[in-house]
Amino acid sequence: MMKFLAFGAAFGALVALPSSLLAQTEVVVWVAGEPGQTTIYDELADTFNADNPDAKITVVKNSSDLFNPALVPALSAGEGPDLFTFGTGPGQPAALIAGGLVADLTDSYYEHNWGETIPEGIVVQTSSDGKLWAFGSEVETTGMFYNKAIFAEHGIEVPTTWAQMEAAVAKLQEAGYDTPIGLGAADKWPISHWQSMMFGRYAGPEGIEDVLFGDGEWTDAPFVAASAKLQAMGEAGWFGPTPVAIGYGELMDRFWAGEVPMTFTGPWVIGGGIEAAGDRIGDYSVFAVPPFEEGQKIHPTNSIGSGWYIREGSEATEIAVRFLNSMFLDTKGRVALLNAGTVPVGPLDDALAQAEMSPLAVDIWKTSDDHAANGTVPAFLDTITPGSLTTVSYDGLQALLLDVMTPEEFTSEMQSAWASSKAAGEIMLPGGIAER
Amino acid sequence: MFLDPDSKWAHRLNPVLFLLPALTIYIVFAIYPTISVIEYSFTSWDGISPDREYVGLANYTRLFTDKIFWEAFRNTFVWSGVIIVINVGLGLVIAAMLARVWKARLLIQTCIVLPVVISPMAVATIWRWMYQPSGVINQMLETIGLGGLATPWLGSPEIVLYALALAHSWSTIGLSVIIFLAGLQAVDEDLYEAAKVDGATPVQAFRYVTLPALRPVTAVVFILTLTQSFKVFDLVWATTKGGPIRFSEILSTYMYKRGALENQYGYGSAIGVSLLVIVSAATILYMQIQNREDR
Repeated sequence: MMKFLAFGAAFGALVALPSSLLAQTEVVVWVAGEPGQTTIYDELADTFNADNPDAKITVVKNSSDLFNPALVPALSAGEGPDLFTFGTGPGQPAALIAGGLVADLTDSYYEHNWGETIPEGIVVQTSSDGKLWAFGSEVETTGMFYNKAIFAEHGIEVPTTWAQMEAAVAKLQEAGYDTPIGLGAADKWPISHWQSMMFGRYAGPEGIEDVLFGDGEWTDAPFVAASAKLQAMGEAGWFGPTPVAIGYGELMDRFWAGEVPMTFTGPWVIGGGIEAAGDRIGDYSVFAVPPFEEGQKIHPTNSIGSGWYIREGSEATEIAVRFLNSMFLDTKGRVALLNAGTVPVGPLDDALAQAEMSPLAVDIWKTSDDHAANGTVPAFLDTITPGSLTTVSYDGLQALLLDVMTPEEFTSEMQSAWASSKAAGEIMLPGGIAER
Repeated sequence: MFLDPDSKWAHRLNPVLFLLPALTIYIVFAIYPTISVIEYSFTSWDGISPDREYVGLANYTRLFTDKIFWEAFRNTFVWSGVIIVINVGLGLVIAAMLARVWKARLLIQTCIVLPVVISPMAVATIWRWMYQPSGVINQMLETIGLGGLATPWLGSPEIVLYALALAHSWSTIGLSVIIFLAGLQAVDEDLYEAAKVDGATPVQAFRYVTLPALRPVTAVVFILTLTQSFKVFDLVWATTKGGPIRFSEILSTYMYKRGALENQYGYGSAIGVSLLVIVSAATILYMQIQNREDR
């Protein structure tokens, strides 16, 4: 009888125990990416789910084009994701914050010592009114990817001055490369990578900050000069005879196929490059675009592409924070990110010692680090300024390349859109979080 | 569920009950959103804030001074005009020719109709690839000695709209052909016999027998093509996003940019309502012209 009772009790405990353990809280996470395409966040979610039986992270991907238009109505309806990535800086998140759709993360910042990982410069871009609204998690940069084999074949050295850059392009054009530097301008946004880098080079970090957070204007001389330079490069055929006719995807196919010697882009292309180029991936490397003018400094581009927000009212806030910590604070998550070519914010020493980054990723970050002491500038102005300015910039950049708009007209249209956004209060004024 | 057919109310209520499921779906997914869009068009709303500020006709007056709206408006008319000419004009010619062809008719018909079932995003991908400067079309032109005609189809401000309209027609003309073919089969063969006896040539028979007989069918094809062409979004967005610059910006892509990308849902809704008004006005106008000619 005792045996029977003991067995019954043990059986009852077994039945009861798993049911409590299996009570999982689902955290729906939205990230930008093509549905069906695996990203590092799938892997990180799997690892987290395995380590946290009480939680289930579900990663949902939406292409960049449709991400915001899908997110905004979902959040407004109170049915959006618990955790999601979104633009940072003075432009895009202002409406979400004003609408009360995202949670205040200041408590988590102090509770989990995020300040030891997230640099102050990034906190400034993800906070307003003394509150932290997003976990600025990753650093992005851009650089000139090039085909070492093509350069070697034509006796071209990596250019370090603008004269050398001009000579390299001329040599490639003579060798029959109709597109020395691929651009993929049909998609509009790739041109803004050049714009961000060139605006930063001509105006310097202070000049950019003066516009974003001060009284500077896009019509200031450095921005006009940068636009003129970009237009001149287009007129000289540096981006090929018809850059606005070629999409980014098609351009990258041609780049990895060895038909285009150079393209200015970021580490996010490395995964696709390894797949497309296969064994030839060793033919590729990265260099910093030389100074455009005499005496100009190289300011590496450095941005938090996006930040992580938690929906206001989410019932899974605690687990969402735990997931953020596992991705960006725990060494295991940071190593996984580095291996995927994504650089998390904060000190990298521990993670770098264990990571196996692709040589191309190492190249681009080394290129960035080499000049970091000069001060960095935003890599993606289009993600930190309001949507109306982005539309004007995208159209205007194509107009510059088609030579149907002057640099003065372009910067004037930008300033006009910027001023309207400011007047409409669409611009967040960051400023750090309140001390405790 | 339904009333006894012999009961007093049956002949009144049963049709309503039959219609109710479809009507409910139509109200929820078509009427209600349309009314909501009209309501939003009188507000200033970012699509996020719980409060929508009523601004009266401000969004509509803004339309009159918005030069990009008028660029998109002009482009939409050019775009629709090209598509109507191809889908109605060429569609009718293809259908008339197919009606006289017996050998391989099914095969030809299938080839023409097949693109209709391809998703718009796939159509966009196919044509974006074909229209690349080094794409199939330019390569083909080079091969047949017409390399001088090779052009950056999607990068040329003068050509892009027509190139995209052609892609849209390729994917939709099959439907016009099918409708015209059905109409042609209903034309009384005796009329052709009589025309032949009167000495009419095939062209004259087409002009004086086929065309008048197909007037109601042409009206259907015209209205279908018009509404379809005005609401196209995916093809243009997935190929050019309205570019280069704004040379392929049509009202639907402009509405999306202003509304969804720039969070100006009130103004985007006003653009949407203007699109609705234009399509409705064009349809009514066309129907009235048809009716007047019929009288």
